[in-house]
Amino acid sequence: MDELELLKKDWKKNGDKYPKLSYNEIYKMILKKSSSIVKWIFIISILEFVLWTALTIGLKDADFNQRFNEYHAENIMIPLAVAGYIILGYFFYRFFMNYRTISVTDNAKILMEKILKTRRTVRQYVAFNLIYMTISAFVVLGIQFNKDEEMKSIIDTAAADGELFMFYAKTILVTLIALALVIGVFLAFYYLIYGLLLKRLNRNYRELKKIEV
Amino acid sequence: MNKELEHSFVELLEKHQNIIHKVCRLYTNNYDAHNDLFQEITIQLWKAYPKFRGDAKFSTWMYRVGLNTAITLYRKSKRRVNTQGFEDFQFKIKAEEYDDTEEQQLKLLYKAVHQLNDIEKALVFLYLEDKNYKEISETMGISEVNARVKMNRVKTKLRTILNP
Repeated sequence: MDELELLKKDWKKNGDKYPKLSYNEIYKMILKKSSSIVKWIFIISILEFVLWTALTIGLKDADFNQRFNEYHAENIMIPLAVAGYIILGYFFYRFFMNYRTISVTDNAKILMEKILKTRRTVRQYVAFNLIYMTISAFVVLGIQFNKDEEMKSIIDTAAADGELFMFYAKTILVTLIALALVIGVFLAFYYLIYGLLLKRLNRNYRELKKIEV
Repeated sequence: MNKELEHSFVELLEKHQNIIHKVCRLYTNNYDAHNDLFQEITIQLWKAYPKFRGDAKFSTWMYRVGLNTAITLYRKSKRRVNTQGFEDFQFKIKAEEYDDTEEQQLKLLYKAVHQLNDIEKALVFLYLEDKNYKEISETMGISEVNARVKMNRVKTKLRTILNP
């Protein structure tokens, strides 16, 4: 006999040997909280959102920001900040909509696609944050070169010594290294969280895709 | 209104709970994980219940949500116990009902099924539940032809595991 037929026979025979949960036990369960990965992706993305916003607000009164305000570079900084918030808002909306549209009643493949789409949104969000951070860093650097009195005098000295190029190169290099470090830390962090969370899902999705080929 | 909904849901679930237990049986291998998954499926069913229109049978709908939860949403419990524990688990097959060789074979079969990946398990599960290829394809989101092809491959894989 076919192995699976034997299994099926036994499977059916065992149909009444499962535990029987009472009405109350089941009722208690529906009051509990889900721990599905979708929910975790959503929670983590909100936490991230809060973190970035808190950082922005928290640093507003920091010393270097106070000093920065004296440069009167509002015509660059305000549009940059506004653009940042608009894009953040857009991502927040996308996160929420993704979360809302994920429904277990879809078939397995559609469900996985939706979850992976959520993941893509997260990835775009991360990319946006990192790019935004890089652009901001260079804009700030540029403003400092032009407006900061201290910086101007250093530049003048460097120019007098004929080391202007070296000075620019050094400053930009240091900024780049610092940025690379920060980006590295963030990428590692994202990889750990989302990578681990979605490892099994990715594997299952690939398996399902493989069937279609 | 909400109370009514709760009541009708819990009643239906109580009646059909075997379906969830069966999904848990294939996807988990110890008592705690079984209960965890059972709970997660129940929560997902409850969350999706307002959208359940009754155009499908409640049980058919349960298969879909149950499997989806096991394959895509459930984060496997870290408390992994070796597969050995599976046979000593709560649904012990009564030895006296079988002759030795058949019981032995079944043990190996269940063990082999547990070695399959999540998607293959889903196919085996639907097969064991006498679902036709149309239903399998609808639940998984693949074509009927693909479901058939994949099912044959799973059978071959099981045979290879059993007779290395």
